[in-house]
Amino acid sequence: MSQKKILVVDDDPDIRLGLRVRLNANHYDVVCAGDGVAGISEALKHMPDLMILDLGLPDGDGFSVLERMKANEKTASIPVIVYSGQDPVANRDRALKAGAKTFLQKPMEHGKLLAVIRFILDAKDHPPASPFSVEADRQE
Amino acid sequence: MLVRNEALQVLLVEDNASDARLLREMFSKEKHGNFELTHLTRMHDAEIRLSKGGIDVVLLDMGLPDGHGIEILRRARAADPSVVMIVLTGLEDEALAAEAMKEGAQDYLIKGQIENRALPQALRHAMERQRLQAETDLMRENEVQLRDDFLSHVSHELRSPLTSIYSFSSLIADGLAGNTTPQQDDYLQIILRNVDQLRAMIEDLLQVTQARSGKLAVELQSVSVNDAAAYAVDTLRGAAKQKEITLSFLPSVCLPSAFADATRVRQILTILLDNAVKFTPAGGTVTVQAREYEKDGSLVLVEVSDTGSGIKPEDTERIFEHLYQVTDLSRAGRRGLGLGLHIAKDLVTRQGGKIWVTSVSGKGSLFSFTLPIFSLASLICPILAEQKVPGGLIALFVAHIECRDGSVDVPGKALDMTRMVLQQCLRAGTAVLLPKIGPVDEHKIFFVVANTQQRDAEMITERILRQLHSRQEFQSDNFTVSVSHVILPPMSREANDSMATLAERAASEVRDQINATVCLQGAA
Repeated sequence: MSQKKILVVDDDPDIRLGLRVRLNANHYDVVCAGDGVAGISEALKHMPDLMILDLGLPDGDGFSVLERMKANEKTASIPVIVYSGQDPVANRDRALKAGAKTFLQKPMEHGKLLAVIRFILDAKDHPPASPFSVEADRQE
Repeated sequence: MLVRNEALQVLLVEDNASDARLLREMFSKEKHGNFELTHLTRMHDAEIRLSKGGIDVVLLDMGLPDGHGIEILRRARAADPSVVMIVLTGLEDEALAAEAMKEGAQDYLIKGQIENRALPQALRHAMERQRLQAETDLMRENEVQLRDDFLSHVSHELRSPLTSIYSFSSLIADGLAGNTTPQQDDYLQIILRNVDQLRAMIEDLLQVTQARSGKLAVELQSVSVNDAAAYAVDTLRGAAKQKEITLSFLPSVCLPSAFADATRVRQILTILLDNAVKFTPAGGTVTVQAREYEKDGSLVLVEVSDTGSGIKPEDTERIFEHLYQVTDLSRAGRRGLGLGLHIAKDLVTRQGGKIWVTSVSGKGSLFSFTLPIFSLASLICPILAEQKVPGGLIALFVAHIECRDGSVDVPGKALDMTRMVLQQCLRAGTAVLLPKIGPVDEHKIFFVVANTQQRDAEMITERILRQLHSRQEFQSDNFTVSVSHVILPPMSREANDSMATLAERAASEVRDQINATVCLQGAA
């Protein structure tokens, strides 16, 4: 089985390196980008299985990256974990609405971070019976 | 000094004809002041006039035919929050006048002692004071805002370097940068422990900031205090073991659910247990207990007791204050920011409870807090209040799990699974999941959907059933699950019904309907 590829977008090189080593040790391929523009172009180039995205980026915030990822049909299906030091109260809902799978606050215990990554990748490979809503019923 | 050209609009509210005439005469004699006086005799009329705006100063008699005392001030303030209030009292009522000042009156005039010259001055001074006070309030607000923004910014900025310190020390500790010696491992554990302390401090700092700016959200739901306590005890087990402290928790069997925020309840208990472990010497005991409060049947009482050094009587109130720390630091060793108990108090208060401590110096402390008990009515209340469509429907779904062998306890796994399936069927914003609630039956799980039509409710019921039966756990023969729903008819609201009364009625109707449904199913 080929290794899963994870794209890390964070402007802090230390955090990028720390994540790279930890993820490599857990058999993930890692690609990194230091700003939003590079993040989008790396996503298009490598088509990663998952993106870990910081919110405070030098060229505009992570939300604009998230929105552009979701707006482009090539990248829309790549799950995004927002991993940020910013206030979860102000940002969690906004990130989820913009299409992020989850919002994790820095620093996150690595065991938990890896569990979340595994969970999201598993869910992508084996989608559960489609979650239903009354609206979906009406369209049947 | 106030500079304005148009006349000062004064409203006099006074039912005593002679008092009123005296004051009117004073105003008419006043040559320099530019006043326009309106006179009313009833509070009800005054409220109507005030709510239209345009009144600068209101002179209020404290005894009116339709209102009395401090209540009058509150009504005037409610009708026009910016109006300057001056109260008129009798000589024997000075205590009442002092109370009025606390309620926001700018001045008081004692009837029979008002001099012609004093009146316009009193009015102008009162207006000036109100203006200055508003200015000071605004300045203070700005300052607080600045400080909160700063604290919030700082705590976010601290997270990045902290993340890297954590990340690399844990990489080394996990052997991902080559082999380490046992001594290096020990030292790395010290770094990691300190990282965790620092992280907790940043969290506390941010939380206090959020609490002050009103950003801290508390979501009330049905919460098992036993579960929250078990979680907190688990979190502190390591620290207790290190100090050889016995951490004991006996879940109580018939504890009703609390109406609270599960995360916040866990947080309160973690703070109290953390404190208790810190202040209890090696070999001591820390105990958690929860029960229905014997002094008030609508509350759950949670207690954390320790065999620590205790708290001096003069400190029992102050330890809940912001940044307060007991002066004798030697006993506790190194400390946090001193925000823990302050946060705990804030969280308890926000959830409608109280927190206090009793202590015998040298023998230990007993921290107690209360939380309101969950009731169906307390949950329905906000749904009713938020219903924008008049006459909208509320549907309540009941998943009923039973063991085939007739045993009372349904395995936790089956409950978890049902809960998960139900969670998936919820519609965000309109639905709330309630875990096991007592009054009807221990082993049912409920959830409420607001504004759902009969047809939708049937569809959802069928889907929940289908989804549940497709699960491995329910295909075994050990237990059965049935799902039904109850639609609550639109509540007609009598003019003087409070929302609470309405919710109480809705809740009892739901209970009746559920009981009827369960009986019918039993018969079939």
